[in-house]
Amino acid sequence: MIKFEEFVLKNGLKVIVHEDPATTMAVVNILYKVGSRDEEVKQTGFAHLFEHFMFEGSVNIPEFDTPLQNAGGENNAFTSNDITNYYNILPANNLETAFWLESDRMLSLAFEDESLSTQKNVVMEEFKEHYINQPYGDVWHKMCALAYKVHPYQWPVIGLNLQHIEQVQMQSAKDFFFKYYRPNNAVLVVGGNVKAQEVKVLAEKWFGEIPSGEKIVRNFPKEPAQNEERILEVKADVPVNALYKAYKMCARMDEDFHASDLLRDILSTGDSSRLYQQLVKEKKLFSSISAYSTETIDAGLLMIEGRLSKDVSMEVAEKAVEEVLAEMVNKKVSEEELTKVKNKIEAFVTFGEVNVLNRVMNLAYFDMLGNLNDVNKEIEKYAAVTSDKLQQAATKIFRKENSNTIRYFSNN
Amino acid sequence: MNRVIAPEINLIDSLALPNVEKLNLDNGVPVYLLNNGEQEVVKVEWMFMAGKWFEEKNLIADFASRMLREGTSSHTERQIADLFDFYGANFNNGAGFETAGASLYCLNKHVDHLLPLVADIFTDSIFPENELATIISNRKQRLAVDLKKNDFLANRKFVDVLFGQKHPYGRITEVEQFDTISSADLKSFFSKYYNASNLTLIVSGKFDDSLVKKLNQNFGSTSWLREKAAENITHTIESSSNLVHHTDKPDSVQSAVMVGNLSINKSHPDFQKLSVLNTVFGGYFGSRLMSNIREEKGYTYGIHSSFVSYPHSGFIEISSEVGTDVREATLKEIQFEINRLRTEPIGAEELGVVKNYISGKILRSIDGPMKFSETLKGLLIYHQDLDYIQEFLKTVREVTSEELLELANKYLDYDKMYKVTVG
Repeated sequence: MIKFEEFVLKNGLKVIVHEDPATTMAVVNILYKVGSRDEEVKQTGFAHLFEHFMFEGSVNIPEFDTPLQNAGGENNAFTSNDITNYYNILPANNLETAFWLESDRMLSLAFEDESLSTQKNVVMEEFKEHYINQPYGDVWHKMCALAYKVHPYQWPVIGLNLQHIEQVQMQSAKDFFFKYYRPNNAVLVVGGNVKAQEVKVLAEKWFGEIPSGEKIVRNFPKEPAQNEERILEVKADVPVNALYKAYKMCARMDEDFHASDLLRDILSTGDSSRLYQQLVKEKKLFSSISAYSTETIDAGLLMIEGRLSKDVSMEVAEKAVEEVLAEMVNKKVSEEELTKVKNKIEAFVTFGEVNVLNRVMNLAYFDMLGNLNDVNKEIEKYAAVTSDKLQQAATKIFRKENSNTIRYFSNN
Repeated sequence: MNRVIAPEINLIDSLALPNVEKLNLDNGVPVYLLNNGEQEVVKVEWMFMAGKWFEEKNLIADFASRMLREGTSSHTERQIADLFDFYGANFNNGAGFETAGASLYCLNKHVDHLLPLVADIFTDSIFPENELATIISNRKQRLAVDLKKNDFLANRKFVDVLFGQKHPYGRITEVEQFDTISSADLKSFFSKYYNASNLTLIVSGKFDDSLVKKLNQNFGSTSWLREKAAENITHTIESSSNLVHHTDKPDSVQSAVMVGNLSINKSHPDFQKLSVLNTVFGGYFGSRLMSNIREEKGYTYGIHSSFVSYPHSGFIEISSEVGTDVREATLKEIQFEINRLRTEPIGAEELGVVKNYISGKILRSIDGPMKFSETLKGLLIYHQDLDYIQEFLKTVREVTSEELLELANKYLDYDKMYKVTVG
């Protein structure tokens, strides 16, 4: 159970406070409601590049990191399809330093050409490190493009290619900033050894005068329902054959989400899960296999990825995966197995609340999703899923014409 | 309001360490209790002196710990998996260089069901042949993939040139070595090292006295005492006589770079001060290596240095992945930054930031019972007590630029470092 207070500043900035006197630290987290889905088709990877640029100095402060480190703090950020999230963790008695820094970079940036050009290089090296110079590194690019035909989820957060990053101009950075990095498009969460009253005063003082931006209207195309099985075969210099299957599933806020997510747990959470037991342990067709869901604001993917055991054919391996999925459709999950995955979820959620930084990030995330009170309802929502609902979700998801398959062959 | 001026900063000059209670089970097993959690969860960590240091053949310590969830006389692999998962628990088993064992993470309400299972695992694992065969074949597949990664290859080469193949810190695994592991090897290693005489427990989270009683019931028996692991085991270091090792990978768009040499470990009196020097050099986001090679040159996504400490040795390691065309330029910049530390005293402002940054890091390392339990584990392996943390903060606050200049000359010498590159 995460306790919180919330208020909104006149400029539209949502502020949430989470008091936790047990820690000596304070966390200041800002979530901006902008991600790679907001990018132009010709400028993919931009939201993430921009996240790097946010550390390159703001209008009154030459550099972000040093003053925070000088206050004993540490910080980082990440960009997803839907959001960009910045967090700072520092000794609670230096809380104001984080307000000073975060508010100045929401006010305006330094917009220096040289730092943009360096960050373009850094991000291109990041692209190479994770997506080119890496066995199977290109698979996510291929899967996004296979599964999404019109929605911006068709490109990964890092961007479609190096050229898109290389070609970025300063004007785009300015336009992007003054459109999306406005108080009315952000959630500020302050947690740890802080007092709500103190946070209120600091929030007014540092963020109160930052002007609002325009209301953001998103009109990117909705991905139409998929009606055909999609298959891509790839041959590359990898040592082991791999199989990837992505099924369209509902959006994070959909009422089916928790049932769909439990399917993933039954398939792949823990050594007793079905994919591991049946395909790794019993049939020994895969050396590793797992499932995860993308949990996006718009309709997402339930992805299964596995590396084949030596001398196992792709056909046999794929058929075996399909059999495991078909069993979810054809047969109700037992009460015992259902209780097991619910117990897993309860432990997962509870352990997730041990760390104050996690609690704060959860608050920001659930507020962004649209209903902050949901942050404390997850266990309850998973608990309400019945075996009937699971079967319905499986029937909806695990259909051939809803599948996107990549058969990744070793050319050795 | 003047936004140019930073708010006042409060320095961290003292620490209030959380309470650690130490007691012994009936058979003498030391137990450290960190009981200040807020959530109804508990983490129990079993540390046996059963790490790589004690194995006589490569992979034995690793597999003895990996196979702990693969079956006992009374539970099959499947039953073990079902029980842990049914109670929502995570049981993370694995081996380090010194210790091996497992951590159990679970909700308090389930711990009674889980401790007997863990006790069964640690006293009666049987290392079934068929499960071993599956894990070996899966590990071979994983190694085949890892061998396609330049950073993995560079790291293997680096520890090899530093320590050589006769030393556990340098030993690397070739695919064929997996076939030499037998269930009998694992059983014999297990019965020698996994016992009460080699065990230390750390418990953290939120719990009451009844937990200690249960630990005693499950792990406190004197009949589980055996001979202690020998303390006088030694291994020979055979460093390479060649400082430069390049492996060409013509298709690569990046090269993995590793530079460094053998050095001191955490038990040495210079180590804490050296941590300050290393932070300036390449130990945090604002370090000189990051500022120069990432933030100014844009050669890489990241570059780091650290003085890696193991119980019987240590080394400095500088590592990065850089564009293939700037590999040599990167090495030059590493050399430049080392020489700058050896010739110019670190300025007061820069040193001040680093001192404050490390102080904050120390504060975070003791914040919350689970974080604190990791920190405590790091101390116990070196037979250090909590005073080490207080001393560290004091050292950080007091160390001077002059001392760091001296240390740079003593411990950082580019000409004596190994340079390993792949790509």
